[in-house]
Amino acid sequence: MQTIPAPVAQLIETLAELPGVGRKTAARLTFFLLRDKSDLAARLATALQELRERTRFCSVCYNITEDDPCPICADPSRDHATICVVEEPLDVIALEQAEVYKGVYHVLHGVLSPSEGMFVENLRIGELLARVRKGGVREVILATNPTGEGDWTAAYLVTQLRPLDVRVTRLGRGLPVGGDLEYADVVTLTRAMEGREEV
Amino acid sequence: MHIRYLSLTNFRNYARLELALPERTLLLHGANAQGKTSLLEAVYLLATGASPLTSTERQLIRWEAEAEGLPYARVWAEVVRRDQAQELEIILEKKPLANGSSRFQKSIRINRARKRRADLAGHLNVVLFTPQDVELVSGSPSVRRRYLDGTLCQVDGEYCRAVGLYAEALRQRNAALRHLRDEGGDQSQLLPFEETLARTGVLIADRRRGLVATLSQKAAEIHRRLTGALEWLRLEYRPNFDPAAPPARERYQMGLGLPPYTGPPPEVGDDGLVEAFRAALQARRPDEILRGMTLTGPHRDEMRFIAGSPAQGTHEVDLGTFGSRGQQRTAVLSLKLAELAWMQEHTGEKPVLLLDEVLAELDASRRRYLLAQVEAAEQALLTATDLEMFSPEFRQRATLWEVRGGVILT
Repeated sequence: MQTIPAPVAQLIETLAELPGVGRKTAARLTFFLLRDKSDLAARLATALQELRERTRFCSVCYNITEDDPCPICADPSRDHATICVVEEPLDVIALEQAEVYKGVYHVLHGVLSPSEGMFVENLRIGELLARVRKGGVREVILATNPTGEGDWTAAYLVTQLRPLDVRVTRLGRGLPVGGDLEYADVVTLTRAMEGREEV
Repeated sequence: MHIRYLSLTNFRNYARLELALPERTLLLHGANAQGKTSLLEAVYLLATGASPLTSTERQLIRWEAEAEGLPYARVWAEVVRRDQAQELEIILEKKPLANGSSRFQKSIRINRARKRRADLAGHLNVVLFTPQDVELVSGSPSVRRRYLDGTLCQVDGEYCRAVGLYAEALRQRNAALRHLRDEGGDQSQLLPFEETLARTGVLIADRRRGLVATLSQKAAEIHRRLTGALEWLRLEYRPNFDPAAPPARERYQMGLGLPPYTGPPPEVGDDGLVEAFRAALQARRPDEILRGMTLTGPHRDEMRFIAGSPAQGTHEVDLGTFGSRGQQRTAVLSLKLAELAWMQEHTGEKPVLLLDEVLAELDASRRRYLLAQVEAAEQALLTATDLEMFSPEFRQRATLWEVRGGVILT
């Protein structure tokens, strides 16, 4: 590493700290930026700076937003009596792209996983309960991932929401569209069978 | 069932091995540390998804593979079961991380489709005999629990999933208990984990009880034959949590005078058991928060080997504590042969036998008895350093291959 100038080495090391980026990718990206003739590096620098400076959490749903409340929470045409609870802001983007949901969201920012240091205190659960207690909420849709942690988080939310006189539902689960029965594992098949519907 | 083809890449000391396996008896011989046991280990790994020898599965990757920059191991087999060929594959990988360490990953494929460990159940069944088996009697309770899990997981995918889920919920609940002890906080966050522990725990205890009862019955018969009816043997399942009995602590103090465990009374249904388990977890919470660990449940189950002799009337001893080495070996051989019979009954097929250097420890009559079982198998893989242990007739009937430095000379 001594043959590489310090600023180059520093960028490689920094990029390599990102998830999914190894040292080789980091080096490739760094040298690409070094050779690039356009203003890409400058635009990237500005974007990174503004990422922190111009974003914040929505004080209602805790999604990442530029304005508070966020455009979804501020939109009067959306159904504010239905709250969809998700793990991460990326889940909101996924659901919004599907254009199937017209209610509002609540982002937990993680899942209950004590072994990874994530406890209920670290999630935006108290804020969700306060929202429901304030009234006007008819249904809470639990849309945490169908993983162990996601299921345990949903189970905890059920224990907290049940006394609050609100309808609590969980996203359906089963076979992926375009999938093949033969390649589905037993747990998925079991759940798909349990969740079968009258046609 | 039998294995028709086995392929190893970077597994233990095998850089690469491509092997068409014969049916019936295959006798692998050679000096120590040449790779005989590793071959049996690879087969066991495909059957259960876990090594019988180590819980640090990183060790299974040939260390030179890492130096060469490709830290992975692959075990692949074609298994013939009811005239149907199936492909089983396990890949172990060390994925390098940015901070210089690495992440270990195990992936399982059945007929080329990615599957979970529990899905392996029922594809390849093996019964393994090794010199370390004696630890089933003399070793710690965890050895016996791992044995029960390994045996049931081969045939019962539901059990295997329950065990995996239980272990994960236990890890999470223990971490939450330590957090509550050190930082305080909302105790109701234990509830989701307790629910999982109760549901899977009841299933685990139920299957283990059923297995031990059957094994006890079969092992008793075999043991009577092996000892010429001079001794008798019984296996006892001692669940840590029993909704129909006093708490575990008191039961251990009552010692061995206890009648064999026959399970909860029939009027308590599954829901009742789950409810009782849930209540037990909640009742011990204050104590468990102080200690930072879960004290109730099948992760603390026990199984004991109890023996006596008709000549001594009702006197009985716990072989784990009071058995001689010879008694312990006979008891464990009875258990393993009982397992073989159970597996065959349960699946309707003959499992593949894996025998690692076991003959040296047995006397002539027990050796004969065991080899008769070997020759009745559809496929048996044996390892030996000393071929003289086998009769000339046995050697004549078996296929003999030599293993030398990770290479098989056929």
